[in-house]
Order: sequence, then C-alpha cells, then structure tokens
Amino acid sequence: MKATKKINSIDDLNQVIQSQIQKRKSEKKHVLTVSAGTCGQARGSLKVTESLKKAIQKKNLSNKVKIKVTGCHGFCEVEPNIIIQPENIFYQKVQPKDAEDIASLTILKNKTIERLLYSDPVSGETVLKEDDISFYKKQKRLLLGDNALIDPTEINDYLSIGGYSSLAKVLSGMSPEEVIDTVKQSGLRGRGGAGFPTGYKWEFARKAKGDTKYIICNADEGDPGAYMDRSLLEGNPHRVLEGMIIGAYAIGAEEGIIYVRDEYPLAVKHISRAISQAEKSGLIGKKILGTDFNFRIYISKGAGAFVCGEETALIASVEGRVGEPRQRPPFPAVKGLWNKPTNINNVETWANVPLIIEKGNDWFSNIGTKGSKGTKIFSLVGKINNTGLVEVPMGITLKEIIFDIGGGIPGGKEFKAVQTGGPSGGCLPKDKLDLPIDYESLTQAGSIMGSGGMIVMDNNTCMVDVAKYFLNFLRDESCGKCISCREGTQRMWEIVTDISEGKGKEEDISLLEKLAQAAKDASLCGLGQTAANPVLSTLRYFRHEYESHIFSKKCPALVCKEIISAPCQYVCPIDQEASVYIALIAQGKFEEAFKVIVKDNPLPSVCGRVCHHPCETVCRAGEIGEPIAIRDLKRFVMDWARQNGYQIPVQGLKTDKEKVAIIGGGPAGLTAGYNLCLKGYQATIFESLPVPGGMLAIGIPEHRLPNKILNADIENIIKSGVTIKTNTALGKDFTIDDLFKQGYRAVFIATGAHKSMDLKIPGENAEGVIQAMKLLHAVNLGEKVRLGEKVGIIGGGNAAIDAARVAIRSKDCQKVTILYRRTRKEMPAFEEEIDSALQEGIEIQYLVAPKKVLVKNGKVIGVECIRMRLGDLDESGRRRPVPIEGSEFSVELDTLIPAIGERPDISFVKDGDNLKITKWGTILADEEVLLTNREGVFAGGDAFTGPKTVVEAIAAGKTAAESIEKYLQGKKLARDYKLSRPSIYVEPIELTEEEIQKAKRAKMPKLSLNARKKNFKEVELGLKEEKAVKEARRCLRCELETKDGKNAIGRTK
Amino acid sequence: MELQESKIKSFVTKYNSEKKALISILQEIQEEYNYLPQDALRIVSETLGIPLIDIVGVATFYRAFSLEPRGRHIVTVCLGTACHVRGGLKILEEFERKLNIKAGETTADKEFSLETVACLGCCAIGPVVVVDGSYHAQTTIRNVGSILKQYKKKEKKNESN
Repeated sequence: MKATKKINSIDDLNQVIQSQIQKRKSEKKHVLTVSAGTCGQARGSLKVTESLKKAIQKKNLSNKVKIKVTGCHGFCEVEPNIIIQPENIFYQKVQPKDAEDIASLTILKNKTIERLLYSDPVSGETVLKEDDISFYKKQKRLLLGDNALIDPTEINDYLSIGGYSSLAKVLSGMSPEEVIDTVKQSGLRGRGGAGFPTGYKWEFARKAKGDTKYIICNADEGDPGAYMDRSLLEGNPHRVLEGMIIGAYAIGAEEGIIYVRDEYPLAVKHISRAISQAEKSGLIGKKILGTDFNFRIYISKGAGAFVCGEETALIASVEGRVGEPRQRPPFPAVKGLWNKPTNINNVETWANVPLIIEKGNDWFSNIGTKGSKGTKIFSLVGKINNTGLVEVPMGITLKEIIFDIGGGIPGGKEFKAVQTGGPSGGCLPKDKLDLPIDYESLTQAGSIMGSGGMIVMDNNTCMVDVAKYFLNFLRDESCGKCISCREGTQRMWEIVTDISEGKGKEEDISLLEKLAQAAKDASLCGLGQTAANPVLSTLRYFRHEYESHIFSKKCPALVCKEIISAPCQYVCPIDQEASVYIALIAQGKFEEAFKVIVKDNPLPSVCGRVCHHPCETVCRAGEIGEPIAIRDLKRFVMDWARQNGYQIPVQGLKTDKEKVAIIGGGPAGLTAGYNLCLKGYQATIFESLPVPGGMLAIGIPEHRLPNKILNADIENIIKSGVTIKTNTALGKDFTIDDLFKQGYRAVFIATGAHKSMDLKIPGENAEGVIQAMKLLHAVNLGEKVRLGEKVGIIGGGNAAIDAARVAIRSKDCQKVTILYRRTRKEMPAFEEEIDSALQEGIEIQYLVAPKKVLVKNGKVIGVECIRMRLGDLDESGRRRPVPIEGSEFSVELDTLIPAIGERPDISFVKDGDNLKITKWGTILADEEVLLTNREGVFAGGDAFTGPKTVVEAIAAGKTAAESIEKYLQGKKLARDYKLSRPSIYVEPIELTEEEIQKAKRAKMPKLSLNARKKNFKEVELGLKEEKAVKEARRCLRCELETKDGKNAIGRTK
Repeated sequence: MELQESKIKSFVTKYNSEKKALISILQEIQEEYNYLPQDALRIVSETLGIPLIDIVGVATFYRAFSLEPRGRHIVTVCLGTACHVRGGLKILEEFERKLNIKAGETTADKEFSLETVACLGCCAIGPVVVVDGSYHAQTTIRNVGSILKQYKKKEKKNESN
C-alpha cells in the first residue's frame, strides 16, 4: 500500500480531491467491481476475485482491466455479483469458473454471458444492466450506491468520488452553528430507532455546559435481521468518518468513539483501517487541515449485548462496565460518557451528514414525506425473492418495497406479514401493504421504523412462533434492572410458549395484554418499553392464530412443533400415524405396521392407492429432498397383509345399541357405519346404486383402484356388523320420516356429489357429449360405451385424467386430447396421474377453453376453442386465464367429455324432509359436529362440503359416528380437540452418513405401456419389500422431536 | 494451555492499564485462551484495581464471554429473525443432536463448542452457521453432518502430517 500523504490545509484537501476525481475520470480501463461484503465473501466472492485476476493476467488484459473489490452491492440474493464499468453490466452468482469467459468473451469480444445475467422472478426475462434490474429501479441509493464504486480500504477511492469535500466545505467557512442549522433544516432524523431530529440533538450537546464533549457512533446493530450499518461500515467507512468529523466540529467534541459489534469482523477491520488512513492524511488528529480543530476517533468493541444499543447502556459499556441503562434525564447530551455531554447517532445517521452538507438542506428535505426526510435503508429479508439492502425515499409503500423491489414471495406462496423495527417493532398484515413508510405511519400501525429491518413472512410462518421468538430474544437480552422488563418478558414468553405447545388457556390472551401494558408502563429504557410490541402487534392483527392454537390445538402454518408433532399425522384428516407405521416398516415389523394403519382407517387398501396424500405435501423430508412415499408404503403394508392372510379383527362385535340409518354407501357412509358398529350401534347403510362404495366404486377407474381391492375393504366393514341395502334410494324408496318410524334413532346423510357441472356453451346437449362421471360410472359397472376414434376432454382435475385414461383404453379410440384452460402448474389433478396420462399417449393442450360444441345432424363433430393467457391472480391464488381475442380454432372430435367438476345432487330431498339446503346446493349442517337443522339428522362428506377427497370423506364418517354417539347418549355435541400424538413411540434406526446422502425416494414400479393397452389392469404394481424398507428408513421421524417423543425414547438431553 | 501472568499483564498494559478498557482486555484474553480463565481475571483485577466481583459481573453480562473452556472448534448457529423464519432452530437442534450437547456447551472431548448468535447480518444467505470464523450459507439439516465432518477431517489430516 502506498503511504498516505498528510494533507495540511483545506486547499490541499480540495486539490487532492480534484486530482483524484480527474484520475478516476481519465481511467480508460474496464473496472470489474466484485461485491465482497461479509455475505459476498461467505458466498465465495474472494475466490471469484482470484480467478478473475488470473484470467485477466492470462489474457494479458492487465492494462485494459482493473479489478476492484468493493463492499456489498446490496443485492445479497445473487451474491457473488460483479458490475462491469463503464458498461454497467451486472453479472450475478458468479463462480470462479466463470472468470475465463468474462475475460475472453465480455472484456475481449464485448459479448454478454447470458447465463450470468439476472433473470427477473416476475417476468422471467434476463436483464443486462444494473439500473434496469427491478430490484434497483425504484431505489434511491444515495448512501449505498457508492458502495459499488469504491474500494473501502482505499481512502483515495473515496476522495475520487468527492469524498471529504463536505468536510472541506465545513472547515472553510461554516460556523458550528451553521452546520447544526443546516442539519436541523434538512429534517434528518435518527436512523437507529426512535427517529429523534438529529440537528436538535446536536444543538443540545453543543449548548451543554462543559469543555470536554464526546460523540459516539452507535454501530451496535443488534436488531436481528438488520445489517445496513454493517454494510456501510464495510463498504464506505470514510463516509461515516466524514460525518462524525463534521458532527464533532459542530458539537465541539474532541473525541469520538465507534461502538461496533464484535460479530462484524470485516466492518471492524475496514473502519479501523479507515481511521488510520484518515489519521495519516491529517483528516483526524490535532489541528485538522491546519485549523484549530482537534478530533480523534477510537473503536470500542461490543461484546454481544442487545441492550447496549440503548444510549445509556452503550455509554456504560464504553466505560468498561456492565451495559445497564440508567434513568433519563439527564440525557447524554448533558451528562453522557464520563459524565460529559455526549452525542450519539447511529452509522446510517452519520453517513447522511456529508450528503446534506454537500447538496444542501433543501435538496435533502425535498426527498421523503412531511415528517420523514431523505432516504432510509431497509434490509429486506425472510421469505422474499430479492433479499438485500434496499434504500428508498421515505414515504414509499410497503407494497412497492416487497413486491416491486423485492420481487414478491418465493415459491408462489402468499404474503402474510412483514415485521419491521426488530424486536421492538411489530408485524404488519396484508391490509397494511399500502402504508407509506415513515416514522409516524409505522408507529400508528403498531410497529416502528427502528433501524430498518424488514422481515417478510409467508403463510408458512406462524405468528405465535414469531412472537415467541422475539420474546425469547428479549427475555434473554433484558439486562434485568427493571422487574417489569425482566419478569414481564419472561412471563410473556412462558405464556406464549405454552400457547405454542398447545397448552394455552382461554384467559392467556387477556393476561398477555395486561403484562404487555405493565412492561410498557414501568420499564426504564426502550427495550422494556417496547418489549411487548411483538406480542401486541401479532395479537392485534393475528388474534385468530392465537385462538386456533389455544382452542383447536392447531398451528395453521405448521410450525409449532409441540402441536404438530409429525406433520404427516397432523394434516391427515383421519389422524393416521404415518410416521409410526413407517418406522415399523423400516424395522421390518409389517404386522405391527398393519395394525397401526387399520386402527384409524376402515378403507386402508383404498387409501394406499388413491388417497391425495396431504401427508406427503407437508413431509419434512420434502423440504430437503423428496417427501417419503407415504401412500405407497401404506399400500405395501396392506398388500403384504392381504397376501399373508392378516385380517382386521372386527368379527363378532356386539352391536345391540340403538339403530342408526346411513344414507349413502361411499367412503363417508361406510366409515360412519363401521365406526358406529365398533361403538356397539346397529348401523344400516342405504345405497341407491347396485354396489356399495360410492365414488370409489363408480368414479375411480379399475386401472387405479381394482374392484377386488375396494371389495376387500368393504367386506371387512360388513364383517363389523354393518348392513348394506343397495338399490335403495332416499326420496324414491323411503323418506327420512320413514326411517324414524322404523325405529332408527339417528340418520347420517352422506350421498356424495355425483352431478356433473355443465359447460354452459352452445351444443352441449348434442349426441356424443358424455359427462365424465357418467362415462366412469358406466365403465365401472361394466356397461358398453362407444366413444369413437377421437375423444376430447374438457378439464384438468382427476376426473378429467381418469376419463382420458379410460377413453384411451376403450376399444376403437385412437386419440385423446385434454383441453385445459390454464397451464400444467395450475392443474388440480395428481402430478403422477398427469405423467401417466402423457406416457399413455394422451395429448394435453394447455391454455385452451371451449367456446361451442360443433354439431352436425345432432351429433358432435368437434369443439371450437379459444386460446387463453394467464392474467392476474384470482381468489384461489392462481392466475386467471384470459381469452386471447381472435385465436379461435377447432378440434375434430367424435366424443366430447366435459369434466369440469361435480356437485351434490340433492333432488332426493323433499319438502317433507325438512332439511335446509345452502345456495351451493349442499345440505346445511354444523361444521364441527355435522348436525343438520333437523334433530337426529346429520350430514357429511361431499353432500355437505361439495366435492372433496376420499380421506376427507372418511374423516366426515368418523366425526359423524362420534357426534351420533354423543347425541344418542344425550351428551353435549362438541368436537374434542386434542394434540396430535402417536399412540406408540418406535425407536429410531441409525442411518449411515452414506445412506443419508444417497437416499432417494422410491419409485413406484408400473405396468409397461404395452401391457396397459386396451385393458384395465392396475397400472401401479406396488413397492417390493426391499424397496419399501429402504424408503421407510429415509423418514425423519418428526414425532420424536417433541418433548413427549424425546422422553419416550429416553433422549431427554 | 498454561496461563502466563506476563501475557495477561501485557494485555492490560497494551491498553495503558485503563479501567475503561476492561471489555477490550477481556476480549484479548478470550482470543488467546478461548475462554476467560479464573486466574486471568484475578490478575486483571489486581492490575487494574477493579474488584473481581465487578469483573465477573462484566464477564457474565456479555454474551461473547465464556467462563468455561471452549472447544477447539467454535460452531455458531445464527438465530436471527431471518434465519429463524428459514429454519435456523432446526439447524441448531441438528447440531445439538449430532454433537450430543446443548447450545452453550462443549463436547466432552473438547473438540466442539456450540453457540448461538442473535444475528450476523448475513440474512440473505440464512440459515447461517459459522465454524471458526468461516461462514456456511443456506445450511440444511442434511448438511450439518458434512459441515462437522470437514472439521473432523482437518484434524485427522493434521495429525497424520
């Protein structure tokens, strides 16, 4: 490093600045700036720098290219990134191996490297230049912008962008009062928390009595999730120093301290170096620039105490004592460090000062809102696409920051809340997205600006957990001086912890509110006074989440471990202990696994084949790889049990209690009957079709669910004592009154949803238009259906895929086309079913909607369609398809099969039944206990909810059986909520590291495509034993992570 | 490591034996010994003229100080808000399980100490784990094992050299 020359006067300084500016301007080289803040370095930016240097040398480009290692460019998400000047090309996620290409293509041949360009998460387009990237576009990077221009370890680089010219300006003619006045007029407010007007603060310290005064730079950035101060210290330390020197001059301080976190080693390194350079240059020290102004700066390192961000605690810490706050007044401006007048500002506040001096207070106060001037840096982190440091003018809305700059929420998830202001701040919900960001608006909304942390949360974030997190932080960081804070944070944490563990009580919420108020009123410093904010703001906007934890023992975001236990079991509507039977499979204990499965599920073989497996969707193994093949494992156990002659032990049950009638023999009715028999009631199922099973029998084709499998489950249900009367329909063969007259004491209506929805387009009544359900029904019952050669299906659900796969199997069918109005991503059918359909030669046309059925002589000859594009999001969170005018086209067809959904057919309900029907055509009943408006009559399954899934219907059957039992026993009808827990805890198996690394989801073996042709043989063949065991061993055994789980297996440590 | 009185005293004199430098002096001692040995605190107390009880007060108030010997490798798991919402706690639990110690403890063989920090300010790359000063970005419970292995491996290599 060149020795820095001492600058002796203001003129000297101005000359040095001018010569450095000229030097920068005359630079003919390309400059490659590598972002190398702490995050950049953690991502390997220094390795990239090395490779770039080598590549430049190798190509003999040293005279054409300069490599500059800079501080953070702000766009942390795409580290390491480099900017090539003067072209302003932005390359992201650069790896050392890319260096050669950058040198040989971009530098030598002026070619851009497509793979290194940023791709916009919203539009999907690649962007060449830094300023065109949506992340940077709406920002106003007055402070952060310079980070990418300078090498923070070189004072000359700072001088070359006009650095220290504000100091020159101040010392060459402004009086301290004028400086203070300028800062006052600018409207600058403290950037570290409460937002006190900086100029006034300075004035207090200036006017305070005493010859010795201090200034302090608060760089104890303790708010978790905020790191703008770190970035400024790392990337532009001289600007902070310049601000401090100006402040010291204005206040009359001769000593300044930078109190910086020890957790920021790079920042400490850079600021230390900057101080020594400034000393050598004569910008700090005695008789600065030949004036009578003396000022020195030293560093005091924090030792990890959040409370030291508070002024008086910070002062105690600088003095080498325990960092406890003290009563104010006297304020530090009067009595601060060593009892002398002291002015404290944070890093970002100091960094604003040179700008205000340089460009004037009017310029500064023109930016922002009435009460909040200038820009503010936010660290946009959490569940956000473009994580990074964002500098925006005050008054911008949350929405602009999160969606325009931040690019929205990753993975298409929904925005839930944004937490601002660190532990003293609060969480703001969706309807606050239009809030303009300034000190007052944020406070009014129940949060604060704080130091500018902005943590974005999606639907997978639990707000009770967030409150618990902050309380845990605060009880840990409370210095303990005030009881209201020390005990208040502790007790609030205990209460919220209980709530998060499913042990919450009704009175907890009001108790929390009282404690929160007490902590606010009676604590000495900001930490205690604001400690309740995370609780109060989450209670204000997300009270329902607290309530669902307390009353229903549910954590909707699936976060609170003690409530969730194993997510697979937790989300299963029928509480199947998946992690338990998986653990047993892993140990080869198939019989025990079988017992665990059948305990909670009367249709286990069915579920092993066609369940929509919500368990797999939430499987934690899926977060780090692929979810466990839970459904396939269940099927394995059930197939094994059937082949080995294991039976569900339900024969010879004593069923002599009251008679109960069940209308509908689908999964809901069968389950209700089975469970009632287990409870000792006499259950009779009335089924209108010739076979029991409902949708399972007639809606799901044989190639997915063979009849013999369904019948095995049904036979078992019959063995439990259930009577099934087929071909007996309500409204035709009997009425509800009849049932009561015949001595039935309760009725459960579970008639399903079998009526297909109409397309509502011209021509749909023509010959050759067959509703999907009708087709599946006919084929399942063995009726002959002629479809012709060309078949078209409208829809994208499971019924559409089922109909398509049935069609392609029918005798003379040659070609099947599915027409779907959205894209594959939005298709509601099971992924694996769509794959199978495609493999079997079915064509799927996306973004296509039917306009009219083409008819000739009363018979279908095709369908006219229109192409669609995806527009804005609709209520379901999917992008709404919008027709493209003039894009009509037609498809020739022999048969058209609409499959756009079903709804309940309640034409059997007669006035005399006295049942209320909803506007959606479903039977009205209580959601919790399934009781209808008529005494003794319950309703559930699809007839109540509209079309849902098999396992949800089974759950409805279970709930109905429980409610009916309570009703017949004369008990109060109410759902019992309890924590989801396994009935037994199975010892975990040990996996080798190699096994962990290599573990991959077991693939379901399938019938070859040839063997599937024109027949209905089951396509999925089932996992073999060895594969099943291997798959089961992958399970992470989440249920062992709860306290109960740890205790059960003796892992209490 | 044996305690050298002269070394401790040199830390004190480096800061002109000023009382206000207590925290910096303790930081230097911890840097050297990985923790604050009792005898060292006694020496600091005598040289600086600060009662031992006050020194212990400071040493226990600040999170950065340890009165217990720490392991050869310091594993620090960030539990800042951004790391938290991305599953930092699960990472910590995985380290606890793999090392069979709780946060704040040291393994019996004195190889690893497991610590937490409230935020490292590298929120973009969370969950973050720092081992002996080097940062591990976007950790998952699946690579906790391999992170530890890296440090175990190094030892073996060094031993065979």
